[in-house]
Amino acid sequence: MNGLEDEKFLYKLRFQKFSESHTLYVLFLSLIAILQFISIAFFCKGFLLTRNVLDNVNNLNPSDLNQDYTKKFDKAVILIIDALRFDFVIPVNSTDPLHNQNYHNNIITLYDQFISQNNNKDHSSILLKFIADPPTTTLQRLKGLTTGSLPTFIDAGTNFDGSVIEEDNLIKQLYLKNEEIYFVGDDTWDSLFNPFLSNHSKPFESLNVWDLDTVDNGVISYFNDHLINQKTNDKKWDILIGHMLGVDHVGHKYGPNHFTMREKQLQVNNFINDIIESIDDDTLLVIMGDHGMDHTGNHGGDSKDELESTLFMYSKKTDVWELGDPNNYNIENSGDNYRSVNQIDLVPTLSLLLDVPIPFNNLGWPINEISKNQNERNIFEQLTLKQLKNYQEVSGLVVNNTEKYFHLEQLYQDSLIDSSKATIFQNDLLELCKDLWARFDYISITTGIIFLTFSLIILILTTKLIPSIVVSQLVPSFVPLIFIMILVSNLCIHSLNYVFQYSFFYDDFWWSLFATALGIVIGCFVPILDRYTIKWLIFRFFGELSDYWSRVGAFFLILHALLFTSNSFTIWEDKIVGYFVISIAILTLYEFTFVPKRQSTSALLTGVVNEDESEEDANNIQLIKESDSLPLSKGSRLLGVYYSIVLIVCTRLASTITICREEQGDYCIPTFTTKNNYSQLTLCVSLVLMLLTPSSIKGYYKLTSSFQGAAPIWISYFLRFFLLMNAGYWGLTTIENMLENPELDLLFVKLTLARTLLGFSLIALNVGWFMGPLCIDVQIDQKIDSSENQATIMGYNNIYGSQYFLFILNLFMCIMIFNKPMAQISLYLMLNQILAVIEIIDLFKLKENIIGPFTLSLISYQQFFSTGHEATIPSVQWDVGFIITDRITFPFTHIGIFLNTFGPHILVSLSVGLLTLWRQSPAILKPQTLLGRIVSNGGCLLIYNTVLCLSSFVWVTHFRRHLMVWKIFCPRFLFACLSLISTQLFVTLITIAFASGTLIRQINKLFWA
Amino acid sequence: MPVKKRANVKKSVTFSDDTTLSHHNTKKKNIDHDHPPVFVRKTIRTVPWHIIGLLYYYIYLSDDYDTMRLLYLLIPSQVLYLVFQFNSATIYGNKILKINYTLILISLSATILLTVPTLLMIIVFGAPLVEKLRESWLLALHACYLAYPAVYSLFNCDFKVGIWKIYFIFIVLGGWISCVVIPLDWDREWQAWPIPVIVGSYLGAFVGYSISAFT
Repeated sequence: MNGLEDEKFLYKLRFQKFSESHTLYVLFLSLIAILQFISIAFFCKGFLLTRNVLDNVNNLNPSDLNQDYTKKFDKAVILIIDALRFDFVIPVNSTDPLHNQNYHNNIITLYDQFISQNNNKDHSSILLKFIADPPTTTLQRLKGLTTGSLPTFIDAGTNFDGSVIEEDNLIKQLYLKNEEIYFVGDDTWDSLFNPFLSNHSKPFESLNVWDLDTVDNGVISYFNDHLINQKTNDKKWDILIGHMLGVDHVGHKYGPNHFTMREKQLQVNNFINDIIESIDDDTLLVIMGDHGMDHTGNHGGDSKDELESTLFMYSKKTDVWELGDPNNYNIENSGDNYRSVNQIDLVPTLSLLLDVPIPFNNLGWPINEISKNQNERNIFEQLTLKQLKNYQEVSGLVVNNTEKYFHLEQLYQDSLIDSSKATIFQNDLLELCKDLWARFDYISITTGIIFLTFSLIILILTTKLIPSIVVSQLVPSFVPLIFIMILVSNLCIHSLNYVFQYSFFYDDFWWSLFATALGIVIGCFVPILDRYTIKWLIFRFFGELSDYWSRVGAFFLILHALLFTSNSFTIWEDKIVGYFVISIAILTLYEFTFVPKRQSTSALLTGVVNEDESEEDANNIQLIKESDSLPLSKGSRLLGVYYSIVLIVCTRLASTITICREEQGDYCIPTFTTKNNYSQLTLCVSLVLMLLTPSSIKGYYKLTSSFQGAAPIWISYFLRFFLLMNAGYWGLTTIENMLENPELDLLFVKLTLARTLLGFSLIALNVGWFMGPLCIDVQIDQKIDSSENQATIMGYNNIYGSQYFLFILNLFMCIMIFNKPMAQISLYLMLNQILAVIEIIDLFKLKENIIGPFTLSLISYQQFFSTGHEATIPSVQWDVGFIITDRITFPFTHIGIFLNTFGPHILVSLSVGLLTLWRQSPAILKPQTLLGRIVSNGGCLLIYNTVLCLSSFVWVTHFRRHLMVWKIFCPRFLFACLSLISTQLFVTLITIAFASGTLIRQINKLFWA
Repeated sequence: MPVKKRANVKKSVTFSDDTTLSHHNTKKKNIDHDHPPVFVRKTIRTVPWHIIGLLYYYIYLSDDYDTMRLLYLLIPSQVLYLVFQFNSATIYGNKILKINYTLILISLSATILLTVPTLLMIIVFGAPLVEKLRESWLLALHACYLAYPAVYSLFNCDFKVGIWKIYFIFIVLGGWISCVVIPLDWDREWQAWPIPVIVGSYLGAFVGYSISAFT
């Protein structure tokens, strides 16, 4: 009795200890996470540029400024056709290799009008190529089109919640002149210009890209009501604006090369015809696109196809425009040499045509064609020049008495006399602004880099260098100290600021963040340096890298981090990462086939075996043989070879799926295309994989005889059922895509199905998992020669791993819903990759080595690319946000996009726990030790992502003036930040706080309670 | 440099695959470390100067990077290298075996067979699956014929001695490292597949044949 009570007491004590240290570990890791988030925030603050917006409003009408000026139009109809690429509207010869019947020669009206009236010398229309400024997202383009200024990169993130535009803009100017502005179409306008638009306006939901027709039909019927079927005198509006989204949405949904594009364009063409017929003499018609689209139908970047859009101006009056040399309007080679104007030039142009003040922040220049003669042109140019000069002076963009200032001043004086110089002035001012809005805050950047470096050092120290037993003893002193240090440093810094009554560099909020980060750093370093000397730590660092596999891991991490030193490597990262994974797999394959005798990697022997001491060789070999490390038995070698081959084949197959970034050019053929995603072949492959994957997982379970208890239910029923339903969902989508005229509306069915699946996998299964589905079975054998029964627990040796993997499967299912069929194939392969890596690591007994987490991390990057992503903004699959909701709803849309983009990272963040838990029988390690090892492996994963993030910080700063910075390095650095953040969150909160904690508690209760 | 490290460790235990031999000769253990039954003499004579010559020709003299022609030049020069340099520096037991002309032919054809797994490996490492198959195979041929002297020696000692592995590893390593230039956007004609990897494996082979005996 006494013994039993003792045992119970011991168990209670141990359990309590575990709970305490678990909480402390989670707190500690969260604090490191906070440190990293702060450093990322600092870096982004310094690097992502923001433009200083001036609220001044220009109130001088052109007619007030110049007596000779005459207003050309009273009214205007402005029609914006989203993503109207320039080659959509010009004739393309069907023999041209670029010709495509789905999107060429459908919108013919614009060019017909232009060319026929040109021939008749009517001069009533202009068709120009319209060059947008990057970023080519609709919100930024609308800002540019109405303010005449250059929205900066950081604005790109606010596409999902545009707020009323602050600066002076064309719509505001029109409103101030009491013009009645009717608007219909994309509701981005409503959020930007709401106060200025008439109450009769009719905005439509815009970001639901699956919906191709609602907005367009709305625009057409609105125009029918207010323009086409209305008598001239009844018209209540002065400005009628329409914004159609159909073409853009077809691009996002199907890509330009799809028959739907043709239908949409023909509809647009008819609509334009109707408008042209119905406008009156005093009305100016402007038809334009806000940006183009790339070959996949997406936009956001700055490739030629995304930038080139269309501008068409028309009036019933004859002889209002003056066209230049006809050779300017050369439509050969899809209009490569066609005359182009900047998008911001529209702002002064419309202002001058409609007699409203040119918006204060404008940087554009009136389009040449709008002035009938030289005299008129001079008037226009002088007016714009005054506005530009005023802007330059008031904004203080150029510091007085600098070389640049004198240069501009000189140009300005010249321009006043000779108008032809004025364009140079405008051009220089524009370039100057582009430069200035790329001014970085180096103090913030350095702060961010330094804090991130410290967080990296802390991670390395606590997860690798200091033994995990010591860390678990240290953590209780870390956490309170960190909190105290945060308080102290906040207090110090704020009181210093209070004393000096002045905040250097940052404002109070940023100083608080700074102090918090500083507190965390000091709080971590004090206890460590109290125990260890720096020399010892450095020695440990190299000791840790003394074995073969650690060096391999470190080598590949360094190579991966060095990819950001060149734009070419960054562009080809998708291929290179796959190459690395395969290289590691080849190394393991070599290891299993030849079993070269090398220093043992098990922790016991590190540092003991010395290659120079040849007398001891025999002893050492004996030692190695006795310990459970190398050499491996024949059977496990064979198994190892098999796993390596599985890893190689899966990686190679997955890496054939690619969306190709635009810079890869002809060297890459995209396979992740809309066509392939919804082809029958893909559907068949997914069906086959759907049947095979549960069986292959079963195979891994059977090897450890853990296919017991909950495992068959989970894998054979839940997983199969889910995958079947999921295939059903994507099958419906495929059918929807293939049908030319979908008669049945599948939206409701699809939404219900997707929501059911998400609820099932995210909620039901995780609740089920929380209850503790054990994968063991008790087998009772009757011994022949005795009456006693012997009980064997089947699956005891893998009791942790088998249960933990079920949790990974839950998340895997959630992620599957939000991935397109091709990406699903890649994810199926990913499960096999992960299991193969886990088994290989287990065979080598490298559970403590950095190679495990590092290989998994490489796989997460390789899978990020092979699930149809690239480190660019246009490749984000926005449309998956509408799988479970048909309109933007926080948080469901965001969850969808997040799970789609960071799915592989999430899976890997969870699997890192499996490295420790797989085939880990509960008898050997104490719960606390187990937790310490999971933290250590999770820490390695964080180290990997932190090193990448740090490297991208350093190199993006180094390349800040590089031609490609906004196109290549900056998106990659944003991606590095986001993947670090999501890995942090999942490793700390899900893997360590939730999953491991629950699992270890449950299993220990079972065996020791 | 992972592979290099591996080479260093092997110094102490030479017969990784040949356990019988090392067990029999436990008495002469120390002697065996200096004079194993099959080894390549540590001599400057094994340096394959012809590889440098071929590379010089390939890069500077021929202006079209004709990989096929290079192969025609490589095979005979490798045979000559084997006969006059490599084989005469290889010591079997205590003697130098005379060149076996049938074995030369056998290993010549065996090398062709070896290209199939090599091609597989090249594709696994990321060469296009279908298109450019001819180029990939040419690369495989080059890589295999670079390893030809080692293949011959491997045959000559009945696949028992593992010291030849290092020659293959050096060639693969050379090719592996040379991939670094492929993604660069320099737009040079020699960046075309498989020229950089061929040059890399030649350099790897040169280093391999020159220094492997010393490791």
